[in-house]
Amino acid sequence: MDLNIRYMIDTFFLALTGVPVTLSITAVALLVSAPIAFFMAISRIYNIRIVKQVVSAYVSFIRGTPVVLQILIIYSLLPSWLNAMIKSLSWDINIFDMNPVIYAYIVFSLNTCAGLSEIFRSALLTVNKGQLEAALSIGMSAVQAYTRIIIPQAMVSALPNICNLTINLIKGTSLAFMMTVKEVTSIAKIAASYGYNYIESYLDILIIYILLCSVIQALFALVEKRIGSYKTLTGSAAKAV
Amino acid sequence: MRPFRFLFIPEVLFDLLPFLPVTLMMFAGSVFFGSLLGFVLARAKVRGRKVSGILADAYIAVMRCTPPIVLLFIVYYGLPELLLSTIGLDINAIEKGIFVLVTFTLLFGAVMSEIMRSAYESIDKGQWEAAVSIGLSPFQAFYRIMLPQATAVALPNFSNVLINLMKDGSLAFTIGLIDIMGKGNLIISKNFGAYALETYMALALIYWTLTLIIEKSFGYIEKSLSRGKRSIAE
Amino acid sequence: MLELKNIHKSFNNNEVLKGVSIRVKKGDVIVILGPSGSGKTTLLRCINFLERADKGEIFFDDLRVNIRTASPADISRIRKRTAFVFQNYNLFNNKTALENVTEGLITARKVPKPEAIEIAKKALSKVGLSDRENYYPSKLSGGQQQRVAIARAIAVNPDVILFDEPTSALDPELTGEVLAVMKQLAREGVTMVVVTHEMSFARDVANHIVFMDGGVVIEEGSPDEIFSRPREDRTKQFLSRILPVWDYVI
Ligand SMILES: Nc1ncnc2c1ncn2[C@@H]1O[C@H](COP(=O)(O)OP(=O)(O)OP(=O)(O)O)[C@@H](O)[C@H]1O
Ligand SMILES: [Mg+2]
Repeated sequence: MDLNIRYMIDTFFLALTGVPVTLSITAVALLVSAPIAFFMAISRIYNIRIVKQVVSAYVSFIRGTPVVLQILIIYSLLPSWLNAMIKSLSWDINIFDMNPVIYAYIVFSLNTCAGLSEIFRSALLTVNKGQLEAALSIGMSAVQAYTRIIIPQAMVSALPNICNLTINLIKGTSLAFMMTVKEVTSIAKIAASYGYNYIESYLDILIIYILLCSVIQALFALVEKRIGSYKTLTGSAAKAV
Repeated sequence: MRPFRFLFIPEVLFDLLPFLPVTLMMFAGSVFFGSLLGFVLARAKVRGRKVSGILADAYIAVMRCTPPIVLLFIVYYGLPELLLSTIGLDINAIEKGIFVLVTFTLLFGAVMSEIMRSAYESIDKGQWEAAVSIGLSPFQAFYRIMLPQATAVALPNFSNVLINLMKDGSLAFTIGLIDIMGKGNLIISKNFGAYALETYMALALIYWTLTLIIEKSFGYIEKSLSRGKRSIAE
Repeated sequence: MLELKNIHKSFNNNEVLKGVSIRVKKGDVIVILGPSGSGKTTLLRCINFLERADKGEIFFDDLRVNIRTASPADISRIRKRTAFVFQNYNLFNNKTALENVTEGLITARKVPKPEAIEIAKKALSKVGLSDRENYYPSKLSGGQQQRVAIARAIAVNPDVILFDEPTSALDPELTGEVLAVMKQLAREGVTMVVVTHEMSFARDVANHIVFMDGGVVIEEGSPDEIFSRPREDRTKQFLSRILPVWDYVI
């Protein structure tokens, strides 16, 4: 089997131009879903009626269906919905001229909400109830207690899972080509179809994903070290006593 | 906008369900071969031999970063050429299912090996030592003492990765396998794109049911394992 | 009956056993004493091949094994003639007390199941746990777990039982029940090699004491010799640290 190395190198750099799109989908999905997922988690922990049932069903559905189906469903649903909405608002935008990356943002945000809310929920549950009570007892408000005491502690146990979710999210964005989004996979795929250099293209894509994921993992390891330091600090303080 | 036709969903379900065996066979095959591969990889890492341990590590790290669809295409386009150029075997005419099986075996093996390894390492080494100290052979010690305990530890993770495998398997239609997804797409193109949403909804229902079945049955197994222990003891 | 000759063992360039030889006769109760880190555990583990010594020989009656060249069959033969009682019990978590005891009989020695159960019940009653046969280890106290572990060891009828600090993980009020069982076994003539810090057990039950330090045997002899007339300075030092003053009197 001989690979067309020249082509492979060219396509590698071509496909690299899709990295910003891949990363932007990842970042938008994470940023949009973080606050929503947090409230979904809270609603389940505090057993808020109806909201809790709706959230549980939503999470179960997203967890129970392939991303590719979620993409296909939303992609066959959204454009006409948005179109109807825009028409009713009588805005002057043609929905079909819009950058399809919008759809990717929406699909992956919807998807990430579910996974992230599960991570938040189990992370919040790992924090001892006494922490909240102690915070309230010294006069902090509930919001202060959460932002200053509970969430920072929960983050430590959530981080490895968030790292996993991010990696899976990045890998998942490779399906955005189905919505004609010009990210890494679709750029290399299109290049391949001109000269039938499929293997070279897909190997390029693979290398890019390995690089991306390695960087993400390294970043998370770094953050984990910083955030988790309170544990080792108290640990050494305890030893010193 | 064309109105959504609910009644199309049960209708199309009848057309889809005959292809469920294909989906399930791909799933079962990948679980079987992937578990074998996972066992080999986990063994390589647990034994701590330098070269094979590093190779296993590298393999697992690469697979962790590989989108299933990318690997599927690499196998689909690469495997025939690789076999043709190395051992002169022409598999271009071969069943699409083989490529799917190979792809998901490769992916699932990596995931599975990590679950097996961490479950095995979570069991106290003293269990193995106690077993050989009363005369069990190393194999018996593994099989009768370590394996049952490690399996119990691995169950929740196992349920998770099975669900992921089931969902990732839905990509097989992209290389033309006619499983439920493939059939769904055929139906849609036969209808010239009409009722696409209804068809996808029907497919989503099938997958949702399958994952719920996996989830619930593992939940049941876990519960009955822990219940068995308590009731005998008390 | 059992003889260890010139056992050497290193862990990454740290020589832990520097040529240890020990002889065990049938019916002996040998107690190995020594400061922490002197290699007592390592020595016991080498006998049972839980650790593979670098050099040395093990003689078991007519079975003569050079450790360096021991085959899996040799190892299996030696393991079948010995049993090990661990500091942290190591009961099989997935098996009841009774199953813990039958496991070695049924799986390793191919004893038919009904017979194995009979033997196991006898062993459990000997350690006073007949009423706990169907308990899982997690539902037993530390002392009970260790007694099940002893039952597991005696059930396979080994030529010698190796004990590694069997009571050191137990609360003081639970050590008594385990020591009582071991005393009973000694009275019945079971051959034992025991690493322990229980000096009263060493003095009252052992017929031979081995004192180790720094990976070598410093001194050995009868309890009377070691406790009342130790010859080596290191032995004296060790005993003075571990025995309260009044222990010397009597
Ligand atoms: N698996 C191992 N790897 C590396 N070093 C080890 C290992 N096992 C034991 N050692 C070292 O060998 C030395 C002797 O250990 P060993 O456990 O035999 O001592 P011991 O006499 O049983 O001590 P204690 O009374 O504390 O149980 C120690 O310095 C220990 O650090
Ligand atoms: Mg020790």
